[in-house]
Amino acid sequence: MAALKKSMSTDERQIQVRFVTKQEKYALPEAPFSIPCGIKADLLSVLVNNLLQTRETGWEEVEFDFLISGEFVRLPVVEHLKLKDINTEVTIDIEYLERFPAPEPEDSLNHDDWVSASHCFKDWILTGSYDNTLHIWKTDGSHKTTIPGHCGPIKGVRWIEITGSLATFASVSHDQTVMIWTVDLETYAVERVHIGRGHERSIECVDVDKNSSFLATGGWDHMLKIWAATSDSVLTTEIDDGENQKLSTVNPGKSLRRTPLMTLPGHKEAISSVVWTESNEIFSSSWDHTIKLWDAELGGLKSEIVGNKSFFCVSYSPLNQTLVSASADRHVRLYDARSQEGSVVKSTFTSHVGWVSTVCWSTTHERLFISGGHDNILKLWDSRSPNAPLYDMVGHEGKILCADWSNPSLMTNPKGVKVKIKTKELGSALQEDSNLENLGNIEMDGELCASPLVEETNFEVLTGSIYDETRVRFIVNF
Amino acid sequence: MATASKSAKRRYEIVENKGNSEDVDDIIEAQVSDNADDSTDEESSEYSGLEDDEEDDSGDEEDESAWEEESDEDEEDDDQEQDMSTNEDSEDDSEDKVAPTAIPIEQVGSSAPVEEPARPVEDEYAYDSSDEEDLRNTVGNIPMNWYNEYPHIGYDLEGKPILKPKRGDEIDNFLRKMENPESWRTVYDPQTGQDVILSNEDVELIKNVMGSRIPDGSYNPYEPWVDWFTNEVMETPVTGRPEHKRSFIPSRVEAIKVGRMVHAIKMGWMKPREAKDTSVERHKYYLMWNADDKSEDVRRIENPIPAPKPRLPGHAESYNPPPEYAFSEREITQWNRLSETPYQRKFPFVPKRFSSLRAVPAYDRFARERFVRCLDLYLCPRAKKMRLTIQPEDLVPQLPKPRDLQPFPTVCSMIFKGHKGLVRTISHDPSGQFLISGSDDQTLKVWEVATGRCFKTFEVKGTVRCVSWCPNSAIALVAAAVDNNVYLINPGVGDRLVQAKTDEILKEMPAQTDYLIPQRVRAVLTWNEPDKEQWASGFRVILTHFKAVKHVAWHSKGDYFSSVMPEGDNRSVLIHQLSRRRSQLPFSKSKGLVQCTLFHPLRPYLFVATQRHVRVYNLLKQELTKKLITGAKWISSIAVHPGGDNVLVGTHDRRLCWFDLDLSTKPYQALRHHGQGIRAVAFHKRYPLFASGSDDCSAIVSHGMVYNDLLKNPTIVPLKKLRGHDKFDDFGVFDVLFHPTQPWLFTSGADGTIRLYT
Repeated sequence: MAALKKSMSTDERQIQVRFVTKQEKYALPEAPFSIPCGIKADLLSVLVNNLLQTRETGWEEVEFDFLISGEFVRLPVVEHLKLKDINTEVTIDIEYLERFPAPEPEDSLNHDDWVSASHCFKDWILTGSYDNTLHIWKTDGSHKTTIPGHCGPIKGVRWIEITGSLATFASVSHDQTVMIWTVDLETYAVERVHIGRGHERSIECVDVDKNSSFLATGGWDHMLKIWAATSDSVLTTEIDDGENQKLSTVNPGKSLRRTPLMTLPGHKEAISSVVWTESNEIFSSSWDHTIKLWDAELGGLKSEIVGNKSFFCVSYSPLNQTLVSASADRHVRLYDARSQEGSVVKSTFTSHVGWVSTVCWSTTHERLFISGGHDNILKLWDSRSPNAPLYDMVGHEGKILCADWSNPSLMTNPKGVKVKIKTKELGSALQEDSNLENLGNIEMDGELCASPLVEETNFEVLTGSIYDETRVRFIVNF
Repeated sequence: MATASKSAKRRYEIVENKGNSEDVDDIIEAQVSDNADDSTDEESSEYSGLEDDEEDDSGDEEDESAWEEESDEDEEDDDQEQDMSTNEDSEDDSEDKVAPTAIPIEQVGSSAPVEEPARPVEDEYAYDSSDEEDLRNTVGNIPMNWYNEYPHIGYDLEGKPILKPKRGDEIDNFLRKMENPESWRTVYDPQTGQDVILSNEDVELIKNVMGSRIPDGSYNPYEPWVDWFTNEVMETPVTGRPEHKRSFIPSRVEAIKVGRMVHAIKMGWMKPREAKDTSVERHKYYLMWNADDKSEDVRRIENPIPAPKPRLPGHAESYNPPPEYAFSEREITQWNRLSETPYQRKFPFVPKRFSSLRAVPAYDRFARERFVRCLDLYLCPRAKKMRLTIQPEDLVPQLPKPRDLQPFPTVCSMIFKGHKGLVRTISHDPSGQFLISGSDDQTLKVWEVATGRCFKTFEVKGTVRCVSWCPNSAIALVAAAVDNNVYLINPGVGDRLVQAKTDEILKEMPAQTDYLIPQRVRAVLTWNEPDKEQWASGFRVILTHFKAVKHVAWHSKGDYFSSVMPEGDNRSVLIHQLSRRRSQLPFSKSKGLVQCTLFHPLRPYLFVATQRHVRVYNLLKQELTKKLITGAKWISSIAVHPGGDNVLVGTHDRRLCWFDLDLSTKPYQALRHHGQGIRAVAFHKRYPLFASGSDDCSAIVSHGMVYNDLLKNPTIVPLKKLRGHDKFDDFGVFDVLFHPTQPWLFTSGADGTIRLYT
């Protein structure tokens, strides 16, 4: 308050602003205010808090974030306006909203080898690692089962369906196979139902469509293959004995071989990631600097986005129909796949220092996504603020290979979001608690929120990284 | 009596005079009589004239009376008669007066000699006059307008005034003109005051004069020319005498002269004229444009170089210059110092101050300065000196900016850690997914490029000098040079089908029944099969050489590969064929210490790099095609452009030579960007990039664009110096390698790491 008064008393130029909000509980009258132009977001927040305090008694301070014309204000207001070429003569509408709460580390799940893939669905976490094994965990951090079965490092895992106590999931690996498994969530008995052979080289990525009926995989043979994801035996052709002795010993039961329903050639280099959209289309990103949009029903190429660098990961959000991509330069790019006019890249998010290896949209929030890179940092972004992420989650000691949100539909815990990050600790004499303590000194981009807020939904972020033996969870309060 | 022919020609029209006095008549008569005297013939004598006089007298009297009478009447008729009469009268009178003293004078006059022969003979000597001297009026050649106011017009011989004859007024003149048919040939003689009627001959004369012809009417300018001495042989020659015999025989006179000349030549008194060489036809060259000669002559006129302008006087020349123009001590000493070379001084004088203009003395150097100026003007040769306006920076070729030549690797994105010793060599698989590296810690490691994970490690006994992944993607093999052996290893990553196939192919040795291994080859190496343990770990074929192998290179088809043993002398280079398990020694003579070999990507050439030269051999023709001369003392590595026409040679002399094989055997460009010797060079397969790694722990990536246009030389632009490796034991970067498809660079260093730059 004093700082605000001080800045108001100096002979700075004043700007007329009006505060608007979309959150009704913080509504203010739309009367214009005259504020000094060099003011920053923190002082603005103090101002709004004071204004709100005058309205209600017993007001608790809330941190606000400010947006001018859809972009977060990170610089002094006048510089932000100059940068965006906004006329300072007229009354400017500043939208304010409650600041996103900072994530906190929650837990760490240890692995023996690099965690190369992870997927969270409902309460269950599925991970695959470089020691050819799959792991099933629960979101509370307990390890349920280890599943060996592949002959090569596992590159992608996906839950297909969880109905009651029966769950189906798929895994792809370097040994050129797609394996579809069923697991009983009470007994944790795992059965490999199908082996899909068809790729000529290692498979890099896998995704399931929203109806849980199809799988799409892509790999180093430049082909995108679509498989049936159902576990019924109608589509299987023959019994697969398993070419490798190791397979049959582990799973003495018969695994039925499956062949791909469709093969879509087109890419000139390895396919690094595939995503299904809600309308039976597939986005595939590749090292040949393109992102292609395929029609899964007809089996043809619909459109493509060409870039300058190899793409490592794409993520699609049905909430806002935009794609976000991670590539060999350190930028995260936002694309609107439908738009034809203008430049295809809508905005570029620059903050990583090295390659960005993975991105993931939030499934409930239409503006949030996370990105993880080879600089060991996981960043939480709001799509409206391209210059700086909302939060940096430091803690991993190795490169981040995969990240995911966990989104339980029901959550009783008012504490909200949990973010899980996997890090490495060699010679793990350290316990989980000490891990937490270690990670307590986290450098955050924003302020740690003191008071948790009540929210309906909670989010978790899972990441996997190199040299992973531990996994740490961060709590993100919303 | 004397009827003069001459007087007949000139008929004088005597203007009627009112007859104021007899004197006038007398005068007129006298004049007339003078004329009459002129025309007398020789034959007529005094005496004859007397007789005539009588007749004339009578005629005169009659005429006079008639004359007086006629004065009242028309003059024209009278004039004619008067003329006749006056003529007669004049003759009579003249005879009376002049006859005794008359001396026969030859007739002088311009009148043509054509005479009327019927005229009576006149006494020419009686009349003494010329045309100029008209004795009718004795005033002489004076302007006659002096007599305008007087009634008389002169004096006759007697001294009596000659009265002006009456001239009619304009009307009379006009009428006379109209009616007198001879008015056109009537001329008024101002000397005598008479009208003269010109005769035909006179008219002809005047016409000739006016027409610029010879006045003499009888002259015909068109007379035929009679060629008296003509070159035509006339029928009737000028002379009729026949030619002499000497006209037909050789000249005797000349023979004598020639004999004398010959004698003189023989005696040596005279030298013969040099014979012209007429056998050779000499062309005559004509200076058609005459530019050079002319230009020198008229250079001063056409391209004048103006004289240097003299300096205008300034304040220093003033008699009272401002104090700042006075020389300071330093300037004075400088002025004195330059006394030997006064032209180098700033001023040719020392500025002096005087109180007034009166006090200014004469300038002593005036004449000298004028003289010098004159020398400058006429003596000093002047030439236009062309100043070079070219800046040296303009001559430097403009290279494109690195920013325009993207993409190229700029930052280090990944470090592959795992080796414990120097990583001497790296190689990538044809697809670009994996990387294999060999190190001094006696291991070979297979890495995944995307994540940096070491997939596999192969233990070997000995330092790995060179690894090379087979470029044929249908065969999964890696050739590794370890001490004396070359191992062909199945890396076990990638397409499992291909791996299985490879294993199958290499399981058995093909039968060597027909083939006898030459003794030479047998002494050098043996093809061995690995034992079970080795097979399990991935080794498929072992070639044991007799010396240490430094370098292995695959042919692009994947069947042939070469190995290099630098200590093998003439048996350094071996070429092996995998499918038949055969080897050959292509060279019989040692050309130097062989550093490395390379197969041409497209054509059947083999590049062999010794320490100083790179030799290109045609394998089909089995002969040396080219020898590339670098000029360096120690070549370390070579790389060939995927197009096949350009070769990069890296040397330990810090020089990187780019050879254009089509251009010459000398380097097209030699780049000296590194601070220490270059260990490895590489080309990119797709992008126009090349890189060099050196012992100064840096790799320099450059743009090297090769054009299809044969006239355009390759463009070489150094782009970026990539640093990152640490120096270990004086070694820096050992090997550089480009990713096959992406613009990424792998470098392996002495610090045991492999770095990926993107």
